[in-house]
Amino acid sequence: MSARGALLRLEQLEVVYQKVVTAIQGVSLEVAEGQIVALLGSNGAGKTTTLRAITGFLGVDDARVTDGRVWFEGRSIENQPPQLVAHQGIAIVPERQKVFETLTVTENLEATVPGAGTTRAEQRRRVERVFEHFPRLHAARRRLAGYLSGGERQMLAIGAALLCTPRLLLVDELSQGLAPRIVENLLERLVELRKELGLTVLLVEQSAHVALQVADHGYILENGRVVLDGTPQRLREHKDVQEFYLGQAGGGERRSYRDVKQYRRSRRWYG
Amino acid sequence: MQTVANIAVLVAIYALIGSGYVLIYRVSRVLNLAQGELMMLVAYLLFSLATLFGGHPASALAGAVLLSLLVGLVLYVVLMRRMTGELVIAAVLVTIALGILLRGLMVLVWTGQMARPLEKLGWQNSPLALGHGVALSSVAVTTIFVAIAIYVGLFVFFRYTAWGVRMRAVGENPLLAAQRGIKLHVAYAMAWALATFSGGCAGMLLALDSGLDGTMAIIGLKAFPVVLVGGLDSLRGAIVGALIVASAEVLAIQLIDPLVSDVVPFVVLIAMLAVRPWGLFGTEEDIQRV
Amino acid sequence: MAYASGYFKTDYAMELRLIETRWQKVSAAVLVLALGVFPLISPQVAIGIANQVFIAIVGAAALMLLTGYAGQISLGHAGLLAAGALTTGVLFKELGATFWVTLPASAVVGGLLGLVFGLPSLRLKGLYLAITTLALHFVVAFVGGEYETRRGFSTGILISPPAIGGFALQEQQHWYYVLLAIAVAAMLFCINLLRTRTGRALMAIRDHDIVAESLGIPVRRYKLLIFVVSSTMTSVAGCLLAYYRGFVSIEAFSLYLTIDYVAMVIIGGLGSMLGAVLGALFVITFPYVIEGLLRVLPIPAGIANEMFAINYAAFGLVMILFLVFEPLGLVGIWRRVRNYFLLWPYRQTAVGGGGG
Ligand SMILES: Nc1ncnc2c1ncn2[C@@H]1O[C@H](COP(=O)(O)OP(=O)(O)OP(=O)(O)O)[C@@H](O)[C@H]1O
Ligand SMILES: [Mg+2]
Repeated sequence: MSARGALLRLEQLEVVYQKVVTAIQGVSLEVAEGQIVALLGSNGAGKTTTLRAITGFLGVDDARVTDGRVWFEGRSIENQPPQLVAHQGIAIVPERQKVFETLTVTENLEATVPGAGTTRAEQRRRVERVFEHFPRLHAARRRLAGYLSGGERQMLAIGAALLCTPRLLLVDELSQGLAPRIVENLLERLVELRKELGLTVLLVEQSAHVALQVADHGYILENGRVVLDGTPQRLREHKDVQEFYLGQAGGGERRSYRDVKQYRRSRRWYG
Repeated sequence: MQTVANIAVLVAIYALIGSGYVLIYRVSRVLNLAQGELMMLVAYLLFSLATLFGGHPASALAGAVLLSLLVGLVLYVVLMRRMTGELVIAAVLVTIALGILLRGLMVLVWTGQMARPLEKLGWQNSPLALGHGVALSSVAVTTIFVAIAIYVGLFVFFRYTAWGVRMRAVGENPLLAAQRGIKLHVAYAMAWALATFSGGCAGMLLALDSGLDGTMAIIGLKAFPVVLVGGLDSLRGAIVGALIVASAEVLAIQLIDPLVSDVVPFVVLIAMLAVRPWGLFGTEEDIQRV
Repeated sequence: MAYASGYFKTDYAMELRLIETRWQKVSAAVLVLALGVFPLISPQVAIGIANQVFIAIVGAAALMLLTGYAGQISLGHAGLLAAGALTTGVLFKELGATFWVTLPASAVVGGLLGLVFGLPSLRLKGLYLAITTLALHFVVAFVGGEYETRRGFSTGILISPPAIGGFALQEQQHWYYVLLAIAVAAMLFCINLLRTRTGRALMAIRDHDIVAESLGIPVRRYKLLIFVVSSTMTSVAGCLLAYYRGFVSIEAFSLYLTIDYVAMVIIGGLGSMLGAVLGALFVITFPYVIEGLLRVLPIPAGIANEMFAINYAAFGLVMILFLVFEPLGLVGIWRRVRNYFLLWPYRQTAVGGGGG
């Protein structure tokens, strides 16, 4: 991956919550134009934090990028307010609170601010396209988003994020709450969108299987640090990844959680 | 019947002032305790404009309306913008301090004397007979219509326009709204402008009806239980709250003692806070830790 | 053996010590001396202002306990002061009660009202609690107003100066020493309270009530307790105010008095007893300073007549400036200045943690 082609580049990123909790430290990664990149790691590894550092924090979050840079299209955007980041073409499907619960489904989609120069008619057409992609949403278009199921919310959040005309889409836990078939469907759609719109995707996933199917490149995060990265091929073949993310123990039987913890600890010291 | 008419006028006034509280709270979770002073300021601006353009009442009114929007906008940009992301209570205290500042400035500029903008505009406040022995002053009747018009306007705005929907979105989840590209500051500034506008309308109408002096700010504070009874983030609630508080107040004046009228809204408020703190129509939020 | 390059606390006793270093001993002694000599060399006006400051310190300390340490916002402070003052007035007027009766009676009334004001805090937090106490303020003001008009005291109640052992307090200088003693006692009481388990529980509740609860702190009991303690103190301050002015009228206890006290704790600096003192000093002397400035500055006579309006505007402005630019208040400024000299020639940089 050449530095020139990188759409997004994180350099030695460090994020501190509430002035004391260091959630990630020295995270560097690159996402090239048109790629789908997977960010893997177990719970609390700092995946969500990484994505949120890219989109920016609000004052109430009491979080800051304390070190390192975020480069997007050659501009550094760390610690910029979220709306400015959004205007530069980065959209996110957050992990939690991903829809406006007191707005109807249609209103959720209409509230998004499209890229500059989008006419009203154009915007309406694109809302219709979202409904075509997700017929379930169309059926529920007049309902309050607060009454949607988890999976329907996920669809709505993805639809709304796409309406922001992003160049880079950040997805936090795509498969969360979705039926496996829908996940496959969505992944296919992401691949299509990449072809169609030149969309670039940074995908956070719990399920390494799913993510490595479509990704061009993968990063593995542990305790707020990148411990491993490479092509899906390489990652799949890596012994540790097999053991801890793909659930295939080397000796044929699974190891206990205790060993996993042991592994993590050694990773922290040596990794 | 006359009682009903009186209640209707009071409801209109309270609902107008209340909508100012609701607009700001709904979008930015800040309780603007300077609402009374702001409506007074707009009323005084109308008075000054009326003095300036004595011959053109319409342009004086239009100018005052424009200025009310501008005042809200400027206040947000200069002052309240700095308070976004701070503790809610700090922002509320800023509005209290703002109220004090404005009150002092207004006495300095306009003195505390009774001002009568209606005379300056060259109009009469003649009583209108509405049949069944009911009579209201023409300004009072206008007040009711203005309140209805503003509320209809607000409902349409929040329901059908893109920025109306966005302001609701910002009120619910500012972070997500920002991530979807909505400019938070625009939404907040619009909320402040609209709030001073609707509160200012109440101030102007009150001043036209019965003159204007330092006591107007107190009416603003009395309208504040209205929004708490209805729910701080609900426009519909403001109407219902206005109905309840205004009826209780008018009835208390007629049946008990005119003196109690000042305390009735607060008694209603305490009763409401004890039973259902977030109001009749408000969303049950996590009632913020300080 | 390395020497500590500063003052460090090495055991629990040191943690509890009120006066810590020799430097502090010296400054405390100087302060006591200055306070003692002050009325002997100052004009009557200055002593009068000092007396008002002492009463305000009692009230501000009470509010500081409640808001600054326990995190319970109250906008009913004027109502509680009014309760103390009115109790004094009523007992004096109706029964001819002496100081030794009215003072405890005010304290009891304040405590009971504290229970009433505190009850909503069991259910409500933050903004909603502030609003409830505000509403209660209006109820107290209304009841007081009703009483005054019904009994025909609408112009207020005159109270003769308190006699302590046959010695009537009339001279400003005498008041000075009595009020100074009371203010110091109130401060010591608060500081001591805060050093105990109760104080730590209060701060835990302020910082995170749910965590406090799960740590086994009986949150409700402490909330009520602090409301009662704070209201009792406030009511006593109201009683003192009544005697000091020799006059009680509900008019004097408007919402603006509440704002004055809230301003004291904010301008002083939330979460610091020193802040309560500085805030009281600032807010009480503020109008006098403005007046003095106006007299010195060449300002058209027309404006100078609108003294109170100028005061108002300036006061609002100062409060806004503090809230926006120095949320830590005067104490924050003081700490910054002190650290500047302590650390000199090094600079203090803002790394992590909040203000020290
Ligand atoms: N608001 C916050 N305040 C303090 N610490 C936080 C906050 N949010 C996250 N953290 C901490 O930061 C670390 C990383 O959290 P993050 O949410 O980024 O993990 P994650 O990789 O997304 O986990 P998951 O897979 O469970 O979603 C965690 O240890 C968490 O405790
Ligand atoms: Mg996560």
